[in-house]
This record gives sequence, structure tokens and C-alpha cells, in this order.
Amino acid sequence: MTRFSYLLFLFSSAAMVHAQHGSIADAPFSTPRDVAAGRQSFRSQCAACHGLDASGGTVAPSLVSGTFKHGGSDEALFTVITKGVPGTAMTGFALDGREVWQLIAFLRSMNVARSAAKAPGDAGKGAQVYQTNGCARCHTNGSGSGGFSGPDLSEIGSRRTLAQIEQAIVDPNAYVDPAYWSVKAEMNSGQTVNGIRMNEDMDSIQIREPGGRLRTLMKADLARFEIVRTSPMPSFREKISGADLQNLVAYLASLGGSTAEAENK
Amino acid sequence: MRTLLLFGVVAGAALAQNWTTYNGTTQSTHYSALDQIKPSNVAGLDLKWVSQADSLEKFEATPLVIDGVMYVTEPPNTAVALDTRTGRPYWRYERPVPPGNYVCCGNVNRGLAIQGDTIFMGTLDAHLVALDRATGRKKWETKVADYTHGYSITVAPLVVKDKVIVGPAGGERGISGFLAAYDTNTGKEVWKFHTIPQPGEPGHETWSGDSWKTGGGSTWVTGSYDPELNLVYWGIGNPGPDWNPTARLGDNLYTDSVVALDADTGKLKWHYQFTPHDEWDFDSVQVPVLVDLNWRGKQRKAMLWGNRNGFFYVLDRTSGEFLLGKPFVRQTWSKGLDDSGKPMKISGTSPSISGTDVYPGVQGGTNWYSPSFSPRTGLFYLTAWENYHTSYYTWEQEYEPGKSFTGGSARSPIPSIRREPIITWGPEWGYGVIRAINPMNGEKVWEYKMLDVSDAGILTTASDLLFSGNREGYFFALDAKTGKELWKRYLGMQVADSPITYTVDGIQYISVAAGHAIFTFALGHGG
Repeated sequence: MTRFSYLLFLFSSAAMVHAQHGSIADAPFSTPRDVAAGRQSFRSQCAACHGLDASGGTVAPSLVSGTFKHGGSDEALFTVITKGVPGTAMTGFALDGREVWQLIAFLRSMNVARSAAKAPGDAGKGAQVYQTNGCARCHTNGSGSGGFSGPDLSEIGSRRTLAQIEQAIVDPNAYVDPAYWSVKAEMNSGQTVNGIRMNEDMDSIQIREPGGRLRTLMKADLARFEIVRTSPMPSFREKISGADLQNLVAYLASLGGSTAEAENK
Repeated sequence: MRTLLLFGVVAGAALAQNWTTYNGTTQSTHYSALDQIKPSNVAGLDLKWVSQADSLEKFEATPLVIDGVMYVTEPPNTAVALDTRTGRPYWRYERPVPPGNYVCCGNVNRGLAIQGDTIFMGTLDAHLVALDRATGRKKWETKVADYTHGYSITVAPLVVKDKVIVGPAGGERGISGFLAAYDTNTGKEVWKFHTIPQPGEPGHETWSGDSWKTGGGSTWVTGSYDPELNLVYWGIGNPGPDWNPTARLGDNLYTDSVVALDADTGKLKWHYQFTPHDEWDFDSVQVPVLVDLNWRGKQRKAMLWGNRNGFFYVLDRTSGEFLLGKPFVRQTWSKGLDDSGKPMKISGTSPSISGTDVYPGVQGGTNWYSPSFSPRTGLFYLTAWENYHTSYYTWEQEYEPGKSFTGGSARSPIPSIRREPIITWGPEWGYGVIRAINPMNGEKVWEYKMLDVSDAGILTTASDLLFSGNREGYFFALDAKTGKELWKRYLGMQVADSPITYTVDGIQYISVAAGHAIFTFALGHGG
């Protein structure tokens, strides 16, 4: 069974949408010419919200991170494009099937999910480096073990380029996702508290304390507070270098999650 | 009391017990003469009921309330009648959204208009529908425009005498905008004003080549009406393509303007263009607020306008004369306004291939949500996005009917339209404020600062209370004189409409939508 008919067999609802709008008997549309046509449609249909290079816009997320919020499989992308996402600015688009598949081909071409194949290091040896250095104390890697205080790494290979992964290991402060900024506060009582800043509004701050406890601080109870924008992760520049670093990068790049699986079908 | 002598809201504000139009009255002050709920008892406000919509799209509708019945639209294309004491529905009118019916920023609708026993609704598929008030059954429908060419209707219609006035959204789809009046009894078109002048019409020369054909000029927020002058005032949307200004050289009338039209004929009496040849999507679809001012010793029929371009304006609404204009938020695109009120553009602020940062950002210093004017305080109140910017990108784009036609892109650190109430970014990316402005000089009198931006409009009352909300999910009451917070409730999702107030059986209620539900409050026992 070709990949294409397999998808149709499994996902009749997407196929029905497809059938309403165009032929499904042709080959899957993923030639360079289709990518070019997809780029053209993207420009007229999608770029106003998602940006010309698909890296995200004012109302819409990036489509080049390799991970799609509503599923990265072909059928999930097809459904989102044709039906939209309820409750968001993403409405369904009445395109013919070919146009939808060309858009998907274009999105695939834009993504960085193939990093692993380009990594010079040895992913197997990198897994050892990951273990030896205690990365799992703070990070999950999709294997069911590991900590949650740091970012989830189980799909990191499809979200970051090799250079970004390496930089995050040797210089974690180069880019800190605002979701990992922390709060350092002093209560009116003089007690100090700190934790990851999970949310904030006019009156309160929601934090995750180092032990994992969720806690809300009322600003009225605070003598002062500060948003700390550096990463709680230490730099591993001195500890991991040379071949070990290349191997660790290769290992992390191999963590592709569902997107990588879809790619391999 | 001095302010009472200086400021008068024009006739029509007396119907305080009902909320009969999108902004309370056709003068659109979003002010109510009700005063049962006041600073001394507002802390006793209790939640009376919640009505949830079927759809998960967000509410942008402002309800109407007539004699104890609330008429409101739910997204995407549904009108409902609810009992205001219990929230229980009497009827629903649902209209399907056809495939290919595109709306730029979510399947939203801003509400209804009413006359006698008839309710009027604009639909996403660009029709105007008249419904029987008692049953919700359709009396007539009229095709206003072709939704397959990017037209939709999200605006709450405005009834003026025997006409109901609506116009399209679709400024991001290369529409050619208009405002049209229909006979309230038959649905027959009575007049149509082209917001993009057609060949032979004055203003057509402000468009290079054929650019007028896809010039935008949407009319997606409800206008106002002065019965003495018999003029309808309406704000006009952005030119298209939004961010490729070289494709449409000229001033691009009447985009980003307010137009004053004869209510009987639709003939243009005057216009004032806030942002000629707009390059940043500064739709002038704000609500025209009509007030009478003692202006420099002379009584004036004025119009107050907080514009998306970041400037606050006072115009004479009889003639369109520019009286005052001053920035109310940080803005970096204009050196200021000249004596005629025309902005002096700063070079290097146009959208570019690599992106140009401009303040305010694409959602503007303010936007479509209603401001308010209180004749008691003499202050103009608006919701503003402060210190907020966007990177504007441009590119060439061919027009294809019904498809997105923006000629570029706009990226901002703050999400434009909607998200869950989680904030993890820093305050340097912009924040929301409720600002009180003295219309006599454009100066800020007080402000109420929020952490997040806000898409909520403002209600003021005769007890000097101000109600509004925000994206953080709060609904709150402030002292309209000082901005001091008096009461606040968390509603769990962003407030993206304008609160209203009304009485039923002598009890004052406050209603507001947040997320996809409507919340109604009144004083509790002993309040």
C-alpha cells in the first residue's frame, strides 16, 4: 500500500473532505514543482497570518518549528487546512485537494525535522553523555523517565536546529523561552520565594517552586519581586565538549517525536 | 456640576432602562443614566447568571435589552433571545456558515439592531436578515454582498428612521467597500455609499491605476446618528492591500476616514481622513462619539475619536472641521498633525522586506471596542494598547477573487486577536490601559494600568462608575473620576466586547461577555 492510500484508508473523514474538492487518484503531490506551487498558494492564502517564510505572524504560529500544535501528520495538517481550528483565527479553506497537498508539501520542505540526518556525532554515544551528565534530572526525553523542571526534550530534534541545540547546552542564557523565566520575590513578612513564572496578571503571579509545588503569590503580599530572565540551567561548556558535545547534539536531534515518525511512514 | 453645564449629551439618552442600540444610543456615548449601582455599593455585585454559547468562537457582541429580554448574537451566525432575570433562552435563530465563507479574524458578530417587532442581523455570508422579535422567525433577507469574493458582515446594524444600515468586512480580501441602507419593512436597498469612489465619483482620483477595484474600505463597526443634523457617521476600514502601499498610490479615499452621510439619501456631506495612504492597517472603524461641547467659548456639535493610528481627535460634526488631535499612546510613524489635522509621516516607517518596527502595532493604539463619554465627568474614556509595536513586512501580491490580499505581513510580540489567559512575556512588549482623556485639550487625566492588553469596551454610568474588562479575564469597576479600582471579578477568559447596563423590574443589571459566555451581575441582598 502506498503511503498515500494508507492515509486515505485510515482517515476517511479527511479523505471525504478531499474527495469533495478534487481528484484523489493522482500521485501524492510532493514534487519540487508541487513545493513551488505550494509556496505560491501559501503566499496568497496563509502568509498574511503565518508570515511569508511561515515562521509565524501576529495571529498565527510558526509552521517551521517541525512541530504542529494540532498534529504534524499529513491527515492532521489536511484537516486543519480544510476545516480550520475552532475558536481561533484559523478558518477552514475551500481549496481543491491538490492545492492542500501542495501546501503540505511546501510546509514539509520548510521544516527542520531532518536535522538528525545531518548531525556529525553518534546519537547512541550521545545518549550515554545525556545520562552521565544528569540531564534527566530536569528534562524528559520521551522515554517515560526524567524531570519536568526544564523543557521537555522528547521532540526537540524537530523544533531546533543543530546549532540551536548546541548553543542551548553550552550557553543556556543565549535564548531563554519566556515560559522559563523565573520570579524572585520577597514577601511583606521578609520571607523570600522563587520559582518558574508560569503566569502573571495585574494582581497575582503563578509560580512553580523548585520542589514542583504550584503556588500563587498575591502582589499585595509582596514587598518586592523581580522577573529573572536567565536560565536556571548551568552552562555545560566546561563539562561537555569535543566529540561528547557532537554526540549529545546528535542524540537530541534524533528526538523527533511524532513528526519524525510521520516523516518515516 | 460645572461639567454638567459645559457638556451635554444630545437628545435621546433618556431611555435608560433599556439598551436599544449597539452603543446604548445613536450618539454612541456608551453612557447610562442609571445610578442604582454606585461606588458605595458596587462591591456587593453578585453574579446572577451565565449563558454559554454553543460555539467556541469568542463573543464580540454587545447585547440589546428591551423590556426584560436580551437579544444578542452568538458566534458564528446565531441570534438568541434570553430572559434577563434567569438567562433562559426564548428562541434561537441559527444560520449555517457556507464553505469558503472567510472572515479575517474569527467567525465573530458584534450584535443586532431593533425596530418595533423586528430584529436585524448581518450575517457572515453577507446577508441582512430581519427576524420577528417574538419568535426569531425570519421576516425577510437581503443579499448585501458576495461572500465568495471575501465579503462578510460582522457589524451590528444601525437603524435610522425607516432604514437599517450595514456594510461589509473584508479589508484583507480586496473587497470594494460600501455602506448601504435598506428599508426596514421590505429589505429593499434605499441607498448605497461607495467607500472606495467608483469612476466618475469624487475621490476616485486618489487611487492609482486600477487599485480602487480592490481598495478595501470596509465598514465593520457600527456608526452613529445625529437626528438634528440628520447625518449618519461611520468609520471606514483600511486600504487594500494592507501593507503594499506602492500598489495603490494616492490618499486612498475614503479608507481610514470618518464619513458624514445624509441619512435619507446616503449622499456625502463631509469626510475627514485620519490616515491618508495608510501603510499599517490603521482601520478607522472606531465608534464616532457625539457630544456637544463648549469649545473655546463657542457651543459646538463635536465628535470624539480615539483612532487606531494612536491619535485622539476632536472634530466638529456639522462641518468635519478638525479641532484637536494629540497622540494618546506611544507612536513612531508621525511627527504630529499639521494645522488641518493631516499627519506628517516620518520617513523610514513604511513596511519593508526585512520588516519595519512601528508603534503602535497592527492592532492599533485602540481598535473597534467602544469608548465612552460621561457628561458628568466631561471625560472621554478609551481602552489603549501602550508601548506596543509590530514589525511590518511588504511584498508584491496578485489579487485573486475571494483570497487573502494583504501585500505583506505584520508580526507583533503580543498576540493580536485571542489567546488563553496566560502571560509569560515581559511588560516591555506592551500593556493595556484604561485612559481618561480631557477632550478640551487631549491630555490624560488618569489611567488604569493592566499587565495584558485589552479588547474590552467601556461603560460609564450616572453614578460615576466605569466598567470594563481585559484579556487577563477580569471584569472590573473603576471610579470614573479617579480611575481607582472599586470591584473586580475573574471570568476565566478574555473580555472582548463592551459592557451594558439596564433595569428590569426596577433592578439595575450589568452584562458583559467573556470568552464564549455572557455574564450578568446585579447587587446582592443588602447591596
